[in-house]
Amino acid sequence: YGRIPASPAVRRLVREHGLSLEAIAGSGKQGRVLKEDVLRHLEQGGEAT
Amino acid sequence: MADKFDVIVIGAGPGGYVAAIRAAQLGLKTACVEKWIGKEGKVVFGGTCLNVGCIPSKALLEASHKFVEAKHDFADMGIQAGDVSMDVKKMMARKDTIVKNLTGGIAGLFKANGVTGIEGTGKVVGAKQVEVTDQDGKATTYEADNIVIAAGSVPVEIPPTPLTEGLIVDSTGALEFQEVPKRLGVIGAGVIGLELGSVWSRLGSEVTVLEAMDSFLPMVDSAIAKETQKLLKKQGLDIKLGARVTGSEVKGQEVVVKYTDSDGEQEMTFDKLIVCVGRRPYTRGVVADGVGVGLDERGFIHVDDQCRTSVPGVYAIGDCVRGQMLAHKASEEGIMVADIIAGHKAEMNYDAIPCVIYTFPEVAWVGMTEQDAKAKGIEVKTGSFPFAASGRAMANNATEGQAKIIADAETDRILGMHIVGQHAGEMIAQGVIALEFGSSAEDLALTCYAHPTMSEAVHEAALAVEGHAIHMANRKKRK
Repeated sequence: YGRIPASPAVRRLVREHGLSLEAIAGSGKQGRVLKEDVLRHLEQGGEAT
Repeated sequence: MADKFDVIVIGAGPGGYVAAIRAAQLGLKTACVEKWIGKEGKVVFGGTCLNVGCIPSKALLEASHKFVEAKHDFADMGIQAGDVSMDVKKMMARKDTIVKNLTGGIAGLFKANGVTGIEGTGKVVGAKQVEVTDQDGKATTYEADNIVIAAGSVPVEIPPTPLTEGLIVDSTGALEFQEVPKRLGVIGAGVIGLELGSVWSRLGSEVTVLEAMDSFLPMVDSAIAKETQKLLKKQGLDIKLGARVTGSEVKGQEVVVKYTDSDGEQEMTFDKLIVCVGRRPYTRGVVADGVGVGLDERGFIHVDDQCRTSVPGVYAIGDCVRGQMLAHKASEEGIMVADIIAGHKAEMNYDAIPCVIYTFPEVAWVGMTEQDAKAKGIEVKTGSFPFAASGRAMANNATEGQAKIIADAETDRILGMHIVGQHAGEMIAQGVIALEFGSSAEDLALTCYAHPTMSEAVHEAALAVEGHAIHMANRKKRK
């Protein structure tokens, strides 16, 4: 509790790539970061934070 | 010098065997050390859970529940079963067969995944060295780049009631009675005590449960705990809260237990007494002095959030470290550690571990209770729905209990789910998924549930959070 809501797969993807959830634009309900948002972020050369 | 491994796991319970299988799947050369001697005199895998815990207790709970249904509930459905009786020895033999199949299954999984099973008692003797002593006392030292300690736990013994052969027993002994004790005493009204008490009560024992604490199931939401206590009492479990056992005396085939409660000193006589006041980590002798793996004052191996001990490359998981003593918690830690060893950035979510008590009805919960949230200063809104209003529950002859959801008043995020009812252990998976995904109560309210199912109570509880349950009159929310 307390962390930004995101699914387990999203949290894992973000962790493995050394990203931060705050840095990724979420397209889900109420700005939630979806797995596809993380993948797009990586495709577009998203920097590790 | 014997073989060298990438990973050696000490203990083949739910933590250890899962860690070993995962590590092998990730391409690591893995061994798993186990010393547990099964009923046939050979080393068996599976640990407490498979041999003397989760699985055998569930086998007895299921059999005894079916017996009770046949004896007391079938007639309501028009089924004339005649005079139903229970063959306790046969019930026990069935349980033993299940245990044997499952422990053998793990040996098969080890083989299929290329895990080397090593029989004997493992001890960490260096940062990268495990010594294994076999049944004949012969010691072999193995080298490993990583060591995972999964040594488990054992029942706590208390001085007032030392165990005896077959009269004062722990949970293991209570799974082995060959006949129904007439008067059964249980010390401890926790998960284990309630489950074992239920088994024997259903088969005809007069069961008294002595619990030192004044509150019943304090880890469960108080509304759910209160209803559970009422239901179990109705089934015949005499649960005495605030009853502190002070001594016992074995007289022939009976045991006299002395305890104190609010009325002063009391005494009760039983034909069997089960001591299940808790479990403690089994860590004595698992790590040689000087290795540098630290224990806390209660004997748990000290680890960080990712189960690393103070020695690099040495991990500890399951009941021998902090956290809930649950098989699935141990297994998830095993997976996390194997992933970390293989180079992944793994972590686990300790806030979403479900708990289940396999009484009838079952009690299951995940996340915070309403009282927890309030104590943390979080403003909450709650919704609950009784199974008495569920069509499926009526058809099932299982209308006892309720589902309750606790959500953050501001964000609507689900903080906890607590259920008492038939199949609560299955239904709670919805709460776990909700917590994992950071779901709001509205998310569940907007989800389509199959009708008629018991799970609809979760849907209605989610709707009730906003006062919009369909199948009951909603309470006016007080502002």
